[in-house]
Amino acid sequence: MSIFIDQNTLVCVQGITGSEGSFWTKHMIELGTKVVCGVTPGKQGQFVEGKPVYHSVAKAVENHKIDASMLFVPPRLTKDAVMEALHAGIKKIVTIADGIPLHDMVLIRQAAKEHNAFVVGGNTSGVISPKLAMMGSFPYWIDRVYKKGNIGVMTRSGSLTNEVTAMIVEAGYGVSTLIGVGGDPVPGTRFAEFLPQYEADSETKAIVIIGELGGTMEEEVAQSIKDGILTKPLVAFLGGRTAPKGQKMGHAGAIISGGKGSVEDKIKALTEVGALVAERPRMVGKLLEKLGVPKS
Amino acid sequence: MKLYEFQAKNVFKEAGIPVPNSVLIHEKSQLEDALLNVGLPCVVKSQVLSGGRGKAGLISFVKTKEKAQAETKRLFNHEQKIKSLLIEQAIDIQKEIYVSITIDPYLATGLLIVSAEGGIDIETLAVTQPDKIIKEPIDLRYGLMPFQASQIAYSLGLDIAVTKQLIKLFLKLYDVFVKYDAELVEINPLFITKDNQVVAGDGKLMIDDNSMFRQTRFEQVQSDYKSEAEFDANQEGIPFIQFDGDIGLMCAGAGLTTTVYDLIHYEGGTVANYLEFGGPNYKKAVKAMEICLKVPSKVILIVTFGTIARADVMAEGIVDAIKRLKPDRPIVTCIRGTNEQEAVKMLREAGLEPLFDTEEAVKKAVLLARGGTK
Repeated sequence: MSIFIDQNTLVCVQGITGSEGSFWTKHMIELGTKVVCGVTPGKQGQFVEGKPVYHSVAKAVENHKIDASMLFVPPRLTKDAVMEALHAGIKKIVTIADGIPLHDMVLIRQAAKEHNAFVVGGNTSGVISPKLAMMGSFPYWIDRVYKKGNIGVMTRSGSLTNEVTAMIVEAGYGVSTLIGVGGDPVPGTRFAEFLPQYEADSETKAIVIIGELGGTMEEEVAQSIKDGILTKPLVAFLGGRTAPKGQKMGHAGAIISGGKGSVEDKIKALTEVGALVAERPRMVGKLLEKLGVPKS
Repeated sequence: MKLYEFQAKNVFKEAGIPVPNSVLIHEKSQLEDALLNVGLPCVVKSQVLSGGRGKAGLISFVKTKEKAQAETKRLFNHEQKIKSLLIEQAIDIQKEIYVSITIDPYLATGLLIVSAEGGIDIETLAVTQPDKIIKEPIDLRYGLMPFQASQIAYSLGLDIAVTKQLIKLFLKLYDVFVKYDAELVEINPLFITKDNQVVAGDGKLMIDDNSMFRQTRFEQVQSDYKSEAEFDANQEGIPFIQFDGDIGLMCAGAGLTTTVYDLIHYEGGTVANYLEFGGPNYKKAVKAMEICLKVPSKVILIVTFGTIARADVMAEGIVDAIKRLKPDRPIVTCIRGTNEQEAVKMLREAGLEPLFDTEEAVKKAVLLARGGTK
């Protein structure tokens, strides 16, 4: 099992004819993802990797059963593309766009809630269930990072995810499903909102979250543990322990403001509910062992 | 992007938010005309982007022409390279309040924040007297509704005439917030004059950087930045912060760069600059290194683990940058990710000793920064 996406999820790719869209569509299919069609206005009748292209998502759903939509659409057009997918009734949407306007992201999140849908991203690599399927852009062929296993990973970063996941694999573990919620201040879906699915997933034995300074997403995870929504062991790695206060560093969401969002606060909240926090990426695997998480 | 007070106040004025009469001057000789327009007493306000201007002595209340001249001279000669001063009419103040609109990331709404205790640092007030702050979520799909503005304004318990002006002001401020894709729009203090008029005492407007493609009115110029390196980085859209340590970071990925920053501090090292050339900038290695070389550092540390930001493309750029720029300091590389084998080969051919483990690379950089050789 896995969450959000597996080998049976039927995926539509918005922006499939673009250079990134076609490149990653090829890789998504190679990994095993069931891409059924693509959408690029003006390109209906074309084929990418043997998959038909439609003018609109509405046309695509007329012709195919679609579970999820993957967006390779520029930031300035993302709000429109997400709305299009939502209005066509699609409930799982992933956008990797880096640079979505803040106000657009607020509207996207509100619309997703209204449609009872999950939007993952932007500013993320996407979602991957190693060896099964992915929506996004992951170097799944690098075995020392994307090995299949029983650790559910959620992250706010891209490159740091590769760094930390490599350490999970180095310790002898692998990944069930990895979800990049993204580095923007307002992500489409927050860490805590995926916890019920991870909790229910029989394959996932423990959770790793890769967080950083700023915002309150890690604190919300701590609250979910406290509330009993997540009972599985959790290890966190948090970047920005030594970051200067009041300085926006890294992701737009990574800033300590109003006395909130410091890594100290997050460590306190997480350790109080029994989670462990790694000081260095390499420690993540060791802490999973310390919590007695089985390797298979 | 953060705007200067005078820019924010121009925006306010256009939106119908009352601001004091003022004149912006760029040199001392313009003071005389400004005073004729504004009158005395007046306030001489340095136009800088940093906060806490009052405490830093960058704002002066003056009653005479002589004092105005002396202050103008002092501020134009200030070490903090002040380009312009706002000469502003002094206001007879009865009360100061706080108003801002921002985004609440958790709720995914706008947030109108109002406090009857204006003029002081809102973050301090949030800690000491949180009950004195009113927060009203705004659904961006519908905007700030007049009933919300009215409810908040009446809850302050002020004079009716003032309250009515406040309602209008909240709605106009929300228009500014939307029109300018603001991260934050703030009036602190908002004056209530002795004759019951509301006037914006200060103005802060921060435009969301991701929205700059549709917010073309304001542009940043070199003198807005602390250094040439900062300006260059901003022009290229490369996230960059200058510090005063030893190790120049040239990393890819915001989270990874922040983590490398932490690891350097754990090892007892210091950082000369934060530079992140991942994401859309991964082909800009030459520009990134050029910026890094403008910063006084003892070693440059390159750490990447990219996916779309391919390792081979970044390595090629780095090799090219070394050939072209001939860096005068050692370079430590740890480049992983898509096509990493090709990357390693290219770096070796260029005479570098590529490392593959982040912690090892950090340790080596710290050692080199201390004057070690291995």
